Amino acid sequence: MSAIAIPFATNQKRGINRLKSVYPLRTLVQQDYLDAIQAASEGKPVVWAMINWWEGDIPLKAMGLNIVYPENYSALMASSGCAEVFLDAADSDGFPSHFCGYGRTTIGYSYRMMTELKGMIPPEVPLGGMPKPTLLLGSGLYCDARFKWFQALARYFDAPQWCLEMPMMGTFEATEPDLETYQIKFLVKQLQDFIAFLEKLLGKKMDWAKLEELIDLAVKIHDTNWQIHELRKTVPGPMHSIDFWSSMPAALFFAGDMKLSLKRLQDMLAEVQSRVNGQIAAINYTERYRIVFAELAPWHSLKIFDNMAQRGWNFVYESDPYHAPRPPDLSKVSDPAEKLARLCRNFIFNVYPFAIADNIANPITDTYLRIAKSWKADGFFLHPLISCRAATANLRSVQYLAQKRLNVPSLWAEGDIIDKRVFNPHDVLNKMEAFEQTMDHNRKIRKSNGLDW
Amino acid sequence: MTITRQKGLTLAKEIYTDRDKCVRELRKESKKIVGYICLYPPVELITALDLVPFRVFGNMREPITAADQVSTTVVCPFLRSIIDLGIKGKYNFLDGIVGAHTCDIGAGLISQWRDFVKDSPFTHVVDVPHTDNPSSVDYFAGQLNSLKRHLEELAEMKLTDARLIEAVALHNRQRQLVRDLNDLRKPESPLLTSVENLEVMVALFSLPVEDGNRLLEEVISEVKERKDKSAKKKARLLMWGPVFDNTSLYELIESTGASVVIDDTCVGTRAFWADVKSPYNLNALAQHYLVDIKCPRTYRQSKPFETNRNYDKDLDSRFNYIKKAIADWHVDGAILQSVKYCDTHGYEVPNLRHYFDTLGIPSIYIEHDYSERSLASIKTRIEAFMETQG
Repeated sequence: MSAIAIPFATNQKRGINRLKSVYPLRTLVQQDYLDAIQAASEGKPVVWAMINWWEGDIPLKAMGLNIVYPENYSALMASSGCAEVFLDAADSDGFPSHFCGYGRTTIGYSYRMMTELKGMIPPEVPLGGMPKPTLLLGSGLYCDARFKWFQALARYFDAPQWCLEMPMMGTFEATEPDLETYQIKFLVKQLQDFIAFLEKLLGKKMDWAKLEELIDLAVKIHDTNWQIHELRKTVPGPMHSIDFWSSMPAALFFAGDMKLSLKRLQDMLAEVQSRVNGQIAAINYTERYRIVFAELAPWHSLKIFDNMAQRGWNFVYESDPYHAPRPPDLSKVSDPAEKLARLCRNFIFNVYPFAIADNIANPITDTYLRIAKSWKADGFFLHPLISCRAATANLRSVQYLAQKRLNVPSLWAEGDIIDKRVFNPHDVLNKMEAFEQTMDHNRKIRKSNGLDW
Repeated sequence: MTITRQKGLTLAKEIYTDRDKCVRELRKESKKIVGYICLYPPVELITALDLVPFRVFGNMREPITAADQVSTTVVCPFLRSIIDLGIKGKYNFLDGIVGAHTCDIGAGLISQWRDFVKDSPFTHVVDVPHTDNPSSVDYFAGQLNSLKRHLEELAEMKLTDARLIEAVALHNRQRQLVRDLNDLRKPESPLLTSVENLEVMVALFSLPVEDGNRLLEEVISEVKERKDKSAKKKARLLMWGPVFDNTSLYELIESTGASVVIDDTCVGTRAFWADVKSPYNLNALAQHYLVDIKCPRTYRQSKPFETNRNYDKDLDSRFNYIKKAIADWHVDGAILQSVKYCDTHGYEVPNLRHYFDTLGIPSIYIEHDYSERSLASIKTRIEAFMETQG
């Protein structure tokens, strides 16, 4: 990553006060990649999976499969500074340059692996790379690219594919009385089909007891994770967005051993709680502004958050679709497939009642407005991505409605998750002072309107 | 309904030029007009409830301005154009709008419509599964039942089996007539230009189904009687891609001496290749829209539960209907067009071009931003492509 020149002192102490408990969590995902390389070398199957919000992760883990996540791995490649060569390779093979940065990186990686290197892992990549996939598991949830790009990978790999389903619909259509019943029926059948497919592919049966054990662990992981982020409502904010992004694989796709993940998340909960008790902030400076980040970070330029912390900007919440919600009560459900279906469906539909109450048709937009209120945000940092429709499409709505309804302004900083050539950190840093004045002004208006922050 | 004294191709051009004229007249007669986006909201349900379906397009000539307040620039400009027109009040003749989860941005558009377009008393978005297996069809049928119930409230009437059967029959008749119209471009000298064809198609999406069918019958009769046969074309082309609702691109191609003789686009043949199968009910509609319409938005495999995948076999299973069209319409080359930021179509392009290569069909990919000004640079590329065709 190229060094960022900042318009204020560089010899200051570090801006962000990192949680110590985050580092053991981060190693879990690193170990997953190393394990996948080891598995491939032993002739064992390796799955490339899209982030699927647990619908596929848990059955795959119950079948004992090694999984790597190209979206996550592309972010790793971006942060290690080696992604551009793969972006260029995808372009050269005919894929438009405005496509998903993760997708282009993975396509370029696959192209280079299968065309230039005859099946070998590109040597320039971090953590040993991703071995050739035995299965490509796409997901229809959140964005079209996440099943279309895996379908496109067929030009490099003859690996079998599967596309997971998850209903996504408008807020007000979700009030139909029989909706939940037939959605669960649909999801259970999809899961049964997926498991039958895995059994056929691997030539072995699903261990249903193991599956149920992992679902129960998933519920505990999500509950612990949810408790951590509830504590972040405290002033000053005890945990920075950087620590969320470093630790999120534990709850987002259950990186590593799930029992170990749970233990380490419990450690994190204890550390965050102790910071709350001691009124210790996530930044080493006085918290002047509480910022919510939407949606996906510039993985190549994370240093900028330290610079912003030095001005008292504390990022108190972020990237909501990457957060696991409080899990539903599954104690009365006996069928493991239905348990999993309900756990996953809850991720999408738990926010709908709030959106209906707020009369906002887009539940994600509504969620960000609720977050601004609950986490007492002074401002949004909105990061529209040149290559990601899903994480960008509703940001203007968030900006417009947050200002209109809550007097919470937004800093608009265009960029990309992978391609650092389209993100200008200097521009962001130069905008900070003016945006602080905007936040100060809006804070006065909120208080005059009787709001409590 | 008496729309105008014009008939056939003249009428089609008139409606193409002034799309909402007819439905505004119908609204004066207390008809309710229901806009719909993309191909996936079943028009049969709208027709069966005595509502008038009106396909919502953008406007390539209208700069996008109002949409900037609520929509970012890195999403489909076609959909941005629609929300722009909505906010500006240019769809104020609609009594409601129905969308579908054909793509993420398309589904989100209906939410935006509800939140930001004034006078939008009725909105509904249908969730469409991404796969076409039997449980997905069942789920989709449930979604159509939700749409039916909501439309019944708008129409203030219950949908009967008899009404649905009648509506499906009318729309199936339209599908057959469109296929008959397409056949008129099979001869060595096509009887109908691609520009005329698009004008007819856009008109169909702007009229009640009975009027659309009458228009098609008139056009087919008129074209069959043409005395002045056009010259043999320099090249016979297939057009592939998402929505293109403006004749400008076709005019540009025709100006090079080539002709688009068949298409696989969502303003062209895509909704019309297959009929809804009997018995006509919600399950049949779900099957038709999710399985029979071949849009890249749906994930398809050569066979379900496939554990031995083969790239070429997979491509053939997904695109062999295009291979048949190439043979039936004697196609020499293919133009793949897509609006910028369309993920569902864009990811297909390298693989589809590979498929065309295996068929010996030269192809070109052009991308536009859904504005007429973007066509200037495309003209040069198409001319160069035509040069390579000799």
